[in-house]
Amino acid sequence: MDFMTIFTQPQLLLLVGLGTFAGVYVGAIPGLSVTMAVSILISFTFAWDVLPALSLMIGIYMGGVYGGSRTAILLNIPGAPSAIATALDGYPMAQRGEAGTAIGVTTVMSFLGGFIGIAVLALAAPFVSDFALSFQPRDYMLLAVLGILLVGSLSQGSLVKGIFAGALGIAIGAVGRDPLTFSERFTFDLTIMQSGISFIAVMIGMFGVSEALAQLHHVDKEAVRQKIDRIVPSWATVKKHLPLSLQTSTIGVVIGALPGTGGDIAALMAYDHAKRVTKNPERPFGDGAIEGLVAPETANNAAVGGAFIPMMTLGIPGDAVTAIMIGALFIHGLNPGPMLMVEQPNMFWFIVGALVTANFFMLLFGLTGIRLFTKIVEMPRSVLIPMIMLLSIVGAYAVNNSITDVYWMLAFGLFGYFMRHYGYPLGPVILGVILSRLLDDNWRRAIISEREDLGAFFMGIFTSPLSLVLFLAVIFIFVSQTPAWAWFKGRVFGRRAA
Amino acid sequence: MPQTDTHTIIDPEHHDGTSDATPGGEPTQRRPGELAFGAFLLIGSLALLWNAYGIAGFEALSSPGAIPMATSFVMVVTAALVLLRTSRLPPDRTETISRDILPPVVLIFAALLIGYGVLLRPLGFLPTSLLFLVISIKLLSRRSWAWVLMISVVCLVVIWLIFRIVFTVLMPPGIVPEAEFIQFFRNMIGGGAS
Repeated sequence: MDFMTIFTQPQLLLLVGLGTFAGVYVGAIPGLSVTMAVSILISFTFAWDVLPALSLMIGIYMGGVYGGSRTAILLNIPGAPSAIATALDGYPMAQRGEAGTAIGVTTVMSFLGGFIGIAVLALAAPFVSDFALSFQPRDYMLLAVLGILLVGSLSQGSLVKGIFAGALGIAIGAVGRDPLTFSERFTFDLTIMQSGISFIAVMIGMFGVSEALAQLHHVDKEAVRQKIDRIVPSWATVKKHLPLSLQTSTIGVVIGALPGTGGDIAALMAYDHAKRVTKNPERPFGDGAIEGLVAPETANNAAVGGAFIPMMTLGIPGDAVTAIMIGALFIHGLNPGPMLMVEQPNMFWFIVGALVTANFFMLLFGLTGIRLFTKIVEMPRSVLIPMIMLLSIVGAYAVNNSITDVYWMLAFGLFGYFMRHYGYPLGPVILGVILSRLLDDNWRRAIISEREDLGAFFMGIFTSPLSLVLFLAVIFIFVSQTPAWAWFKGRVFGRRAA
Repeated sequence: MPQTDTHTIIDPEHHDGTSDATPGGEPTQRRPGELAFGAFLLIGSLALLWNAYGIAGFEALSSPGAIPMATSFVMVVTAALVLLRTSRLPPDRTETISRDILPPVVLIFAALLIGYGVLLRPLGFLPTSLLFLVISIKLLSRRSWAWVLMISVVCLVVIWLIFRIVFTVLMPPGIVPEAEFIQFFRNMIGGGAS
């Protein structure tokens, strides 16, 4: 098993292709998100071998990040959060009858961005992993806190709500018997709580059911049909935007690699970058500038490779989907982190190979089958929403053949629905659940190694450069959300602008 | 370099409710029921803090209750802050609970989902799912019964074939002799070889 495995086993190749194909449609259909699809899929591929399961999930992830752009261009409805910026210029292009050009540019640029992201993953991950071997339990704990905080601060809503959501996730992850002492935690003396809450039930509830319930508000929204002309972009168009695409791919990889940030943030930052560096766009931004498509699409696909870096080397998810992928690896008996890279480097190279394959499939499916695509995407929500709900129930039940998991899933679905409506981000909850064990274990290891001395624990942070950097990053996130920071930023940047 | 302000780029009209979307609502106004939800979160967090204290109290920093206590404490503080901020916001007079937060269709679907969970074991996957699909598609589409029934059956067959046959997911058979059906078709296809 290595980089070439995927190319030598037709079954795996087929699964990556199937996954990418499904991902393009899942990402494109408003109301279906990649996070939702991968969470539901985990429960169905539970009994599979790890390689076929990973092949399918990687395909869905790669295809889904790209697929969101299709409906952003054609219907002005981003199929996924990472395609929000794409709609800003993609839809005006479609309105002018240039939907084909927009889709073609998006596809080629997504391929390019995806390829750069994977290349950086392949080159950087082994070094990061070697470096990560020197991480102390304290560093892992700080990294987990950093990841949850970053998701909370960068997703919509206030940081306070993000922190609440992250803490809630950690609490959910702690429910049940403590694996070290067998003490009951948050069980309220109920037998069903002793074995803990299945994180798959939480995930499907939060991302599947709550999203389907939220979609009920838009059930009567009608799709607008678009005429599609030439798809494959000219070489001159690609060449012209190559420098920008390299810059925005770099933004994508870096943002994707930060724990807790994913394609959506990367795409928005890249769009902002393109607006600032493009001096004379053919059309103004927001009115159909091709640069407004190139930037977010290269960045969000480059972020896929970037997001795998912390996942594979540190066991810390780069975004919500990689959080779920970590869950999938756990289920299949693998423990992502530096030791996985040392003990099973072939697994890493297999994942790189699967990503490369999925990227090629994405290019293939992106430039073909547009007519079939428009038919499927126009599936009425009155059929789609009940289907999502049914799949969510089947998925929650399938993991343990347990009706309790279905009830948990429904409860978290309803709870997630209210969280969405009142501006609480859901990403940190899932990250919290996944990272709860890592945080708990490493805190206990760190404090035991300091002989229960909190002073020594903090002194340790200041004597280790890595711990200090992580600690300062955590502090910075807090400070950057305060009114004092806003005042400071206004003074500094205001003066520069003047 | 100026910071990227996502709120200046995201147009809420473009956002579709996927992932972290906040359907509707203004950050400067209080949505109907927001205060009650904030109070519920605070009370829940206090209950969790009390429960976490009961695990090992202040016995040791490495005790099994340390992280639960720290976590629930953070939840109490942040929930209180959110509640305080929410209480200071002016209420949004343009929204109502029954229209914007919890419309009847959402309540009906929540009830349908709970009903599905209750009936799944006694009735089995196929009849419960068909019932669920027929009722929910009829409610949402308002099309004829024949159309609804046809679409529901097609959807159910597709889901069943993919998940029961391809993914080999075992769902409760209930009143339908599912295993016998599968065996019957296998025998028919394989000429009785299996």
